[in-house]
Amino acid sequence: MSTISKRNLTQALTAFLFLLPGLVLFITFLLGPMIYSFRISFYDWNIVKPENSEWVGLANYARAFSNPIFRRAVINTLAYAIITVPGQMIIGLYVAVLLDQKIRGRAFFRVIYYLPVITSWVIVSLLFEYMFSGQAGLVNYILRDVFNIIPKNILWLADPILAFVPIDLLGIWKGVGWTAIIFLAGLQAIPKHLYEAAEVDGADGIAKFLHITIPLLRPTTVFLVVVLTIGALNAYISNLLITNGGDPLDLTHFILTLMYEATFKRLDFGYGSAISYILTVFVFVISVVQIRLLRQQVEI
Amino acid sequence: MKRRFKLMLFVGIFIVLALVLSACKPTTTEAPSVETEAPAKTEEVTTAAEEPVTVTYWHTMSDPETAQLEKVVEAFEAENPNITIETTRYAYDDFKTAILTGLAGGSAPDTARMDIAWVPEFANEGALMQLDGVMPGFEEIAAKTFPGPLSTNNWQGHYYGLPQNTNTQVLLWNKADFEAAGISEPPATMEEFAEDACLLTKGEEQYGYALGGTYFWAPAPIFYAMGGKVVDDGITTADGYINGSESVAAFSMLKDLFDKGCISPNLLGGGIGTADGHATGLYAMIIDGPWMVDIYKGNYPDFEVNFAMIPTGPDGTTSSVVGGEDVVIFGDTEQSEGAMKWVSFLMSEKSQKMMAEVGVIPTLSNLIGDPSLPAYFDVFLKQLETAQARVPHPAWGDMDGAINNAFQRMLRGDQTVQEALDQAAAEINALINQ
Repeated sequence: MSTISKRNLTQALTAFLFLLPGLVLFITFLLGPMIYSFRISFYDWNIVKPENSEWVGLANYARAFSNPIFRRAVINTLAYAIITVPGQMIIGLYVAVLLDQKIRGRAFFRVIYYLPVITSWVIVSLLFEYMFSGQAGLVNYILRDVFNIIPKNILWLADPILAFVPIDLLGIWKGVGWTAIIFLAGLQAIPKHLYEAAEVDGADGIAKFLHITIPLLRPTTVFLVVVLTIGALNAYISNLLITNGGDPLDLTHFILTLMYEATFKRLDFGYGSAISYILTVFVFVISVVQIRLLRQQVEI
Repeated sequence: MKRRFKLMLFVGIFIVLALVLSACKPTTTEAPSVETEAPAKTEEVTTAAEEPVTVTYWHTMSDPETAQLEKVVEAFEAENPNITIETTRYAYDDFKTAILTGLAGGSAPDTARMDIAWVPEFANEGALMQLDGVMPGFEEIAAKTFPGPLSTNNWQGHYYGLPQNTNTQVLLWNKADFEAAGISEPPATMEEFAEDACLLTKGEEQYGYALGGTYFWAPAPIFYAMGGKVVDDGITTADGYINGSESVAAFSMLKDLFDKGCISPNLLGGGIGTADGHATGLYAMIIDGPWMVDIYKGNYPDFEVNFAMIPTGPDGTTSSVVGGEDVVIFGDTEQSEGAMKWVSFLMSEKSQKMMAEVGVIPTLSNLIGDPSLPAYFDVFLKQLETAQARVPHPAWGDMDGAINNAFQRMLRGDQTVQEALDQAAAEINALINQ
């Protein structure tokens, strides 16, 4: 008895010792700063002399909600999620189904579709900005000179709505590979005998897809919706580089580009921290709602 | 058993390392030395001067400038064997964050060369050392510099830096475009400028004039030359200044040229940059700084750069906007004596001339006409005599944003020029009264 508990204790101690470095790093570099920035969000924070910071209560939060630029940023961020999450999932599922077939060069295509995922956000953002340039861009060239669809060059990045075309397309293009890989894993987990049984019952390809593939992919779908939505709400680099964060007229901000501008350009750390925490709550609530709504019907 | 011991040892070492690393986090709990008093300092000086000290200097110089800076450092160290200068170079976009992180973590440099527009902001945060009345020889050095660049160091009646180098914008005109349009020389007045801009325009194939964007720096030379003002001299109000008749006239001229298609639409965002557009003949005229010489040397070696003064406004005078960098000393420095010597040296004729060799415009007015300076400096030095500084105020960044947005709104036709500038005046007043 005593030897067993002693062994347990040693094991627990060993486990704890193994965890300790990670815990120390987690507390020092993640939890600590998070709590600290929560505190900053209630102050008119002075970054140089923090002791001179002034307690302002919820004023930073109130300022965000009453600011039309912030409200516009929330709408832009939500629109980005509504467009890019289904966009990535529909194309990702399509690609996953194709890559699940016994086609020649399957490994090659899997690599090709995954390549955008591992490329640098910065480089592809600059590339998309270049492609959508208003005067010498590839997209204008194709639309105007090759297909003659538009009479005049479109100034994509000078328009608060059209500026999201490259940003949204980039978000979808870059995410499809990862979504497809996750879907592919889901597809391969579906037992083959279900399809064989359906074939015996006379089901065609579309019927099999609708009645077997889609329902059995539900756990994968739930996972993807939640993770991709969190990713979309945290989108930042592409917007910062393509619109300079808000150009024109501060109408194209995402929540995070606004946070970046407030914090690091205007040195308004209190306001920036408040925006971060609003986003955190926002992401948390949306994730919980999504999981609740989508989990309900998993068992079919 | 032995294996387990090894494992425990390994884990133990790891933990110790992790703890040591987290302990390394700079937590300077010692009271930060607030505003070192002048008399106390001179006492320290006599003892400190004998011990070797290191003064740190952060900057954002280009490759050729950084190489030249090393020679300046060598010259300084030869004169001051007790002082070692440790330079660190940053990318411009990361620089503000780096300084802030340094200030917040107690690891700010002793000295730095920063954008002239940042000095009031950092001075307002209490990060910079006051130089007037503290630094030996400050008044003599200040008297020798151009007044425009010097004024960028002034915040609430005191000086927190010295103008290390300066620049301004002048007109660049593409000779081939001008010859093709039958115009022999660059415009001397704003009327000629407006006329030439349209004569040099050929639909989407060529534009008479192009701006880099709608941020204030871009229209500023024309704005100042036409008598525009952002705020009054005491920085108490923008009413009657940014929306005054001269300012409205300046923006009206640009809006008019834009509507006629004589200004490239790239300034609204997402078009061809002014540097490339000008060298390829797409933009016949642009307004830019002395660095264009080196940019074109690298990218368009065959392109002939032609500079001219900014055309004169209705009252017959030219003007432009002052750019450049100031050298500052941080308030928390423990090496103020060495730092002040280094700053004095950077402001000396010797050092200013050395940096001029690589295209950095000096701020000492007595160097005008010096034969050792590059020939193309002449037009910039002449332009600097009338160039004006942007508003030295910690909220300048937001004021710039207000004017930028007003310019966007008028170009898009959302508001008339007067309406847009009235709104900008109200926004700037709110920033002044904050």
